[in-house]
Amino acid sequence: MIRLENIRRSFISDDVETTALAGINLHVASGEFLAIMGPSGCGKSTLLNTLGTVDRPTAGHYWFGDRDLAALDEARLARFRAEMLGFVFQSFNLIDELTIEENIELGLVYRKDRHRDGRGDRKTRVAEAMDRVGISHRARHFPHQLSGGQQQRAAIARAVVGDPRLILADEPTGNLDTENGTQVMDILTSLNAEGATIVMVTHSPSHADYAARRIDMLDGSIVASVSRAI
Amino acid sequence: MNRFALLTLYRSLTRHRLYALLNIGGLALGLAVFLVLGLYVRFETSYEKWLPHHQQIYLVQTDWHMENSPFNGAYPNTMGGLLDELKQDFPSLTGTRIEPVPFTVIRNGIGVSEDGARVDSDFSKVFDLQMVQGSLASALAAPANVLIDETVAQKYFGATNPVGQTMTLRVNGEQGSYRVAGVFKTLPKATDLVFSILVPLPPHANEDNWHHWGSTSLYTYLRFATPAAAHTFEAKLDDFADRHGKADIGEHASKTLQLRLLPIARRHLTPAGMQAASAKQTVVTLGIVGTLALLIAIVNYINLATARAGLRAREVAMRKVLGASRAVLVRQFIGEAILMAAIAGLISLAMAELGLPLVNAAGGLSLAIPYSLAVPALAVLVVLVGIGAGFYPAVLLSRFPAASVLSSSRAPGGGQAGSRAREILVIFQFALAIAFVIGTLVLGAQIAHVRNADLGFKRDGLIIVRSLAETESQRGKLMTAFEKLPMIRSVTLGGSNAGGSGNNNADNVPLPGQPGPGPSLRWISVGKAFFSTYGAHLIAGRVFDDEHGSDDSTHRGRNDTRNIVINRQAVAVLGFASPQAAVGQIVGKGNPRKIIGVIDDMRFFSPRVPMDATYYLYSPRTQGFAVATLRYSGDLRTAMAAVKRVWQQIAPEIPFDAASADQRLDELYKADDNAAHLFTIGAVLAVLIGCVGLWGLASFNTARRIKEIGIRKTLGASSFDVVKLLVRQFLRPVLIANLFAWPLAWLALRRWLAGFDDAITLSPLYFLAATMLALLIAVLTVITQSLRAARTAPAWALRHE
Ligand SMILES: Nc1ncnc2c1ncn2[C@@H]1O[C@H](COP(=O)(O)OP(=O)(O)OP(=O)(O)O)[C@@H](O)[C@H]1O
Ligand SMILES: [Mg+2]
Repeated sequence: MIRLENIRRSFISDDVETTALAGINLHVASGEFLAIMGPSGCGKSTLLNTLGTVDRPTAGHYWFGDRDLAALDEARLARFRAEMLGFVFQSFNLIDELTIEENIELGLVYRKDRHRDGRGDRKTRVAEAMDRVGISHRARHFPHQLSGGQQQRAAIARAVVGDPRLILADEPTGNLDTENGTQVMDILTSLNAEGATIVMVTHSPSHADYAARRIDMLDGSIVASVSRAI
Repeated sequence: MNRFALLTLYRSLTRHRLYALLNIGGLALGLAVFLVLGLYVRFETSYEKWLPHHQQIYLVQTDWHMENSPFNGAYPNTMGGLLDELKQDFPSLTGTRIEPVPFTVIRNGIGVSEDGARVDSDFSKVFDLQMVQGSLASALAAPANVLIDETVAQKYFGATNPVGQTMTLRVNGEQGSYRVAGVFKTLPKATDLVFSILVPLPPHANEDNWHHWGSTSLYTYLRFATPAAAHTFEAKLDDFADRHGKADIGEHASKTLQLRLLPIARRHLTPAGMQAASAKQTVVTLGIVGTLALLIAIVNYINLATARAGLRAREVAMRKVLGASRAVLVRQFIGEAILMAAIAGLISLAMAELGLPLVNAAGGLSLAIPYSLAVPALAVLVVLVGIGAGFYPAVLLSRFPAASVLSSSRAPGGGQAGSRAREILVIFQFALAIAFVIGTLVLGAQIAHVRNADLGFKRDGLIIVRSLAETESQRGKLMTAFEKLPMIRSVTLGGSNAGGSGNNNADNVPLPGQPGPGPSLRWISVGKAFFSTYGAHLIAGRVFDDEHGSDDSTHRGRNDTRNIVINRQAVAVLGFASPQAAVGQIVGKGNPRKIIGVIDDMRFFSPRVPMDATYYLYSPRTQGFAVATLRYSGDLRTAMAAVKRVWQQIAPEIPFDAASADQRLDELYKADDNAAHLFTIGAVLAVLIGCVGLWGLASFNTARRIKEIGIRKTLGASSFDVVKLLVRQFLRPVLIANLFAWPLAWLALRRWLAGFDDAITLSPLYFLAATMLALLIAVLTVITQSLRAARTAPAWALRHE
């Protein structure tokens, strides 16, 4: 489904060039659950952002299906994100001014294809998404009224409410305790079992074990790719 | 403030340059507007206050209460002999008359007109003019003495000592030699006492009208030791008028003509007669505008400062952790505000200095900044503004709980409540700005309407020669010579002319079969070809001509029937069903007048005075007081030059005074024009200041929403979605502002338009146009920030805390 060809990304700030990604080649098959690991600053988030098209590579090709995303303009990319992707972040990134329910609904409002039909339909989908992560009772609360684990589950609900083809998770358990972390991993696993493709960055080897394949990065390059024996 | 506080202030100012610019610039602008308008209000309200003991000087007003007369209201002048009659009854009274009459200084046979007045010898007991040479009291004792001001002394005598020199003056048409007996300091600008030459008032006892109650020929000033004494005296004036005015006005004369006392300092802003109080309105409006501009600027400062406070929460929290007390922090922020206000104050002085010429030109003023007064006043203002503007952000900032600020990733900027307050401030500012824009549009439209309205005559191509009224023997010769000029199409004489030059006369016309004195009509005596020269529209009957000998009313007595032409207004006032029905009718009982024709109303006077019912009398041969009107073709300057040349050949000793009808009419529109100009400047500034407020709100909210925008973009929002979201949010306060602006503007403008006889209707289009303009400006104000926010890469936005 996804093919990265020689993706490079460097940042130039204060005349210092930092190479975050130094020629990444990667395949992700449809329905795969991939974990990315590596020391801090090795470029994991940059890779994930590139996959999510919120960051543009300096060079290289990004094939999604048979489309070269590098060739798309900003508006098309926005549409691509709305239709195909779901994001989960370490710091949840819920909008403080919106309720949990509204935050989740936001995962639908920018979609121009499906689910534009009626508010009522949207509400049902949101309710389903909240149900599946178990935060329905907090629908009317604001993010700061929730615990970290609950916030992260809400963020996952937002990511999956639009049935994305690809879920990108950047240290989704990084700010959570063990119990909440396990809960989040269970949700991701079951999403994967239902067919979602997941790419997840994590620092926790045990959480990486939930994934079918694991790649290790160092200084902007992939140094190892390990598949879990089934 | 310690060194670190100053350092952080300096760094945050230089790091957020646009913030600093808007914050200080906005405040400076507000201060400058306040300063300039304050100067204007101070000037307009300072009239005659420079006079020593001005509180003791009162002007006698003649207040008319006649039945539906166009001349009702209080006028600043009285009959000539009033002071004499007052002194008969109240011998201890102190008072003087000031009679402004035409003054011409004749030098080498050429006349130059000057502002002059004849005054009583008691003048010095009322007005303490500052003398440069000679004594005021003794100079006015001898009849052939003249007093001149420094300007005139310089003009005619240069370096030589004027005292003892002789001047040839033509005072009120009579030529004579005068000895300069003293020089007084030129009067300041803030005065309605326009004279630079004074001569003693000669005895007038035998002149007709001098003791005619109801005539108004000069100014009578009285002086009282205390306001109470003036009050007591004023109470006796009704009885006095009843006693003395019986012969001219009838029993209970004070019911028709009342004498009143007006403190001299209030004269300038007191309108004469039915004139609308537009000067006062302008002063009050601009005074309010100045205060509001300052308030808004302060509010904007608070707005931006609290916005910045949110960004500085972490700094404050750290200071607290390091042991700064709340009091220290409050002091730091107020100190900062005072420092910023002081910088703004300095800039505002520069702005005012740069802006004054513009304001002076627009408002026909000559204001200057009195630094000895402005600087200390500004210093006080800066401290007050600093405390006022710094207090809220200071308290807000110092109250942030340090622990939660440091542990949360969110900047507390007063949260929901804070942004609501900011939004209300923006609503308030835009309401004012929109109201101002509506006002500017309507003022402009009304003035254009006045300028283009059909005045009932062709206003282009007319030259009004006012100085003709001063001529005697040369008059006929002048008119013939004018007529012979190639570019002059026709010439005429009129007792009253376009632009208001001439006389004001009114007369009661009793109606047949109806009791009472009848309605009061203005009357104007006209010469040959008056209506054709003006291009009046005849509606019914005919105008005067020499074929009908009976048209000429010159030598007809009051009891003979005289032919008159009336205007459209008069048709209704005299009770006729139509102009046609009026023709051939005779009105006026003992003083019969036959209507031979009806013309459309010719508006000679201010657009603010109601159109009077008027009748015209034909007197082609003698003219007591007449101004010439010439219709020319071609270029005005050529025609004017030719007319002037003719004048200087025939009547060189009389200063030539002529202008086109357009110029004369323009003088009537000047006050409103000036008000409109000042209003336009005010509107531009209000919009500008409003934009600063909106920009502040937008920058604050956008900064606060950077992360949210990033999240929305990862969820697939396009840049366009984000711009839409932000712009819509910022337009909301602007739209709500209309709810307040519209009624406010509507009420104010309805009042202003009521002052005009011929006013435009308050069409909703002005309101819509102002709203559209405000929306457009608002969008332009926020669009760059919104675009920038929308374009930021979401990955960056999410890293941005
Ligand atoms: N916007 C940026 N500007 C400049 N440099 C950047 C930017 N974003 C990332 N980098 C640099 O790119 C490199 C990779 O960063 P990245 O965030 O991908 O690391 P990471 O592997 O996710 O680390 P961590 O585990 O700490 O989250 C780092 O050296 C970082 O400093
Ligand atoms: Mg990272």
